[in-house]
Amino acid sequence: MTRGNILLATLLWSVIAFLVVYPLSILVVESFKIAETGTWGISNYLEFFEDAYYLKIFGNTLVLSTLVLLSTTIFGVPLSYILARYRHWGKTVFTALILLPIVLPAYAGVFAFIIFFGKYGTVNLLLMEMGLIKTPINLIYGLHGLVCIQTLHMLPFIALSLSAGFTNIDPSFEEAAEVEGASGFWRFFTVTLPLCTPSYLAGAVIVFLWPFTDWLTPLILGQVDYLPSIAYINIAYHFTDMHRKYMGIVAVVVSSAVCIILFLLAKWWVERKKYTGLSKGTTSEGRVIEPGPLIKVGSYVYMVCIAILVLLIPVVLGLAAFSRRWVFEPFPTYWTLDNFRLILLETPLLIKNSFVFSGVALFFGIAFGLPAAYLIVRTRVPGKDALDFVITLMLAFPGMAVGVSYLLAFWQAIPLATHWVIMPLALFARRLPYFLRMAHSSYLQLDISLEEASEVSGAGKLRTFLNISLPLLLKGVLVGVVMFFIMAFQEISTAIFLYRGGWETLPIGIYLNWHRGMEFGIAAAMAFLMIVVTFILLLIISRIGGGVLKAAWGPGGT
Amino acid sequence: MAFIEIRNLFKRFKNVVAVNHIELEVNKGEMLTLLGPSGCGKTTTLRCIAGLEKPEEGDIVIDSKPMLSEGFVHPSKRGIGMVFQNYAVWPHMKVYKNIVYGLRLQRLSKKSVKERALEVLELVGLKGLEERYPAQLSGGQQQRVALARALVRNPKVLLLDEPLSNLDAKLREKMRFEIKSLVRRMGITAVYVTHDQAEAMVISDRIAVMNSGRVVQVGTPEDIYGRPANRFVADFIGTMNFLAGEVVRVLQDDAHAVYVRTEFGETMLCRTPHSMATTPGEKVYASIRPEDVEVFAAPPQSRENLVRGTIVHKAYLGNFLFIFVSVNGNLIRVQVPHHLPQEEGQELYLVLDPQKCMILS
Repeated sequence: MTRGNILLATLLWSVIAFLVVYPLSILVVESFKIAETGTWGISNYLEFFEDAYYLKIFGNTLVLSTLVLLSTTIFGVPLSYILARYRHWGKTVFTALILLPIVLPAYAGVFAFIIFFGKYGTVNLLLMEMGLIKTPINLIYGLHGLVCIQTLHMLPFIALSLSAGFTNIDPSFEEAAEVEGASGFWRFFTVTLPLCTPSYLAGAVIVFLWPFTDWLTPLILGQVDYLPSIAYINIAYHFTDMHRKYMGIVAVVVSSAVCIILFLLAKWWVERKKYTGLSKGTTSEGRVIEPGPLIKVGSYVYMVCIAILVLLIPVVLGLAAFSRRWVFEPFPTYWTLDNFRLILLETPLLIKNSFVFSGVALFFGIAFGLPAAYLIVRTRVPGKDALDFVITLMLAFPGMAVGVSYLLAFWQAIPLATHWVIMPLALFARRLPYFLRMAHSSYLQLDISLEEASEVSGAGKLRTFLNISLPLLLKGVLVGVVMFFIMAFQEISTAIFLYRGGWETLPIGIYLNWHRGMEFGIAAAMAFLMIVVTFILLLIISRIGGGVLKAAWGPGGT
Repeated sequence: MAFIEIRNLFKRFKNVVAVNHIELEVNKGEMLTLLGPSGCGKTTTLRCIAGLEKPEEGDIVIDSKPMLSEGFVHPSKRGIGMVFQNYAVWPHMKVYKNIVYGLRLQRLSKKSVKERALEVLELVGLKGLEERYPAQLSGGQQQRVALARALVRNPKVLLLDEPLSNLDAKLREKMRFEIKSLVRRMGITAVYVTHDQAEAMVISDRIAVMNSGRVVQVGTPEDIYGRPANRFVADFIGTMNFLAGEVVRVLQDDAHAVYVRTEFGETMLCRTPHSMATTPGEKVYASIRPEDVEVFAAPPQSRENLVRGTIVHKAYLGNFLFIFVSVNGNLIRVQVPHHLPQEEGQELYLVLDPQKCMILS
């Protein structure tokens, strides 16, 4: 333990204290403020848990979470089994398509679905034209639509963790079950699925927490009675009513608490229950079988259906982006580049802001993340595990909590919120885990004796890092860099609370233009542009990282 | 004065003491092996010599320069070469770059770097593979790259951490001799870590046997095998039969010869291996190696340490036969030439050679 390491740890801890611990504690403190008297107390929380309305929205959110988890599981189990176990043509393409929603912003999906499945959307209009229905059917407005859209968005998380589970099971466990006389479904339910529980849970907790985080989808679908949406409305729209503002903050704190607690419980349980350690290592592919013709056709149909739903998002947004006045028509008739001319030539500010803010955030991310990964993996400095813990927790924190807390914390005492640097700082704090985990896992895979061999050969610490560690870490770090950039680029929950005139980013532009009703062409064009940028970045990752699968999620699975 | 001196070395990881105040000396040009079961502290000791671990107490002196007491000397400044257990050949560099890495850090002309590299490549038998990446090499070849890299800077000390444990049995045996002759030819002082006693016997000038963080015995392979210091060493190196017993009488004319009462009989003549003094009544183990037991079908005439037993089990090992003989209910392992016909259940007579039978505490 050298002095340099302690200095580094102190430095990193002060950054975390300033950008994470301080604002989040301000958030908690504010939630105890009582509007009428200006004093502090627990009355806000008492009201929250006594008021029938707040209790109802809390219950609603829980119900939504349960339904989303249920439907992702029902659709995800066969899907991951097909992806992990069956030998079929186009495996990479299908996997990439099905995982795509991870990197697509959630709001892009909602907008596409409204255009396609809305009241006078493509589907309803087509059905009416064909004379199958007289009046439009309500396809998405309501709980069912919410569950549907969130399921499509979260399905990849379940698919990824479960298929990793299916792949990592030592084939001999299943072979033993078969030798003992179990076959087919019996084997699957008694051996395969139970062995996958830890990896399933890792994905399931992310899915379950999403309704506690996603304020935008319910809002757009007109379903505001959910915890994050109510929090957003209370804070963003009712700032003159201090009491409602504090109740909004309470809602943010409550949903953050739920997220953190469930996340930690799942993490603890998964670490306790890891079965993979029992086996003697497996092939990298796991157990892959050649399905019978009937199953093969069935699994193709299944995958194609899901892939079409996913592809709807970029396709519909693309159609809307290249057209004008696409209303009451199943498909656009008036094609134009006007939307793009508007974004690219007349108001390029949004694009510039998006790139600048994400770029600056990325710079902070690398400058912080690489030393942090080094500190956590390679040193024994006290407090490094806590550092890792705090940063990992940021994965579970709702974006809104970060946004609101920055607004509260950097307003009066430290007036950082008046400078544009608050935007990249918030993006940095929110998306840091994505980069750090990647740097962390590549550091773990880097055998320490490679570095020791360099030191023994006469090289100092810095030269060892530059000549040995960095080139070997580069792949993982680059994947982390691009992943971080994609995530920062599409961040809205944090930015929506912090932006001021002139600081609008693409996601904010999409949101605002969508609000302006008839301008959804511009919003769609912006979303389409963002998807194109994301695609290009993904392509870059798949080049360096080898494989689209890794591109979407990085090495080491979950 | 010894070339490497380890003085009162102490190292712990959290609550686990890995190296417990050990003293050790390595002479110039000598190959010393640290031998012991896993977790005995041998690798930690080696890593302390390399400077990859910082011990809590003690000092290490290499070529009269203290590495700890006058300020910690970084591994890069110790003038050592090291071969790692997993080779640690850098995967992103070609063989040639791997080998010249350390040379390039010295102020040498490009020409002399190349000359030296080719020399070492030739020495380890890797000529012509300079432009390969490590992934294109076999395990044995990677091992040679690691060895070449360790030797290229003409280190004062060569450290080898179980370098052969990842190779298959045949190659391992071949490499033992290669490493030994290479190191001897170059006259380097080397410390070798292994848990394989056969490897240690072949490769070392001297062996230091370690157990739970301490050095139990230091000596030549002959010493360690023929005169083990205690039960642990005797058991770890080769095979040994132990018979619990009690010293009955010390011979007057030879203080190293004692009679021990064991379950085999009232009076077994044994030797004390070292200058250890024994007194009657002391609890000891009479110990004998399987090859030091003679086998007779009929009782030989008046021999010391004669016992009668029954074969309960036999194991054919090609060049010889192991038989397990039950004597008064105690099993003893005996090594006999395979051409002697031995059947399970057969009765026979054993003579435990009094010159080879020793007592250990």
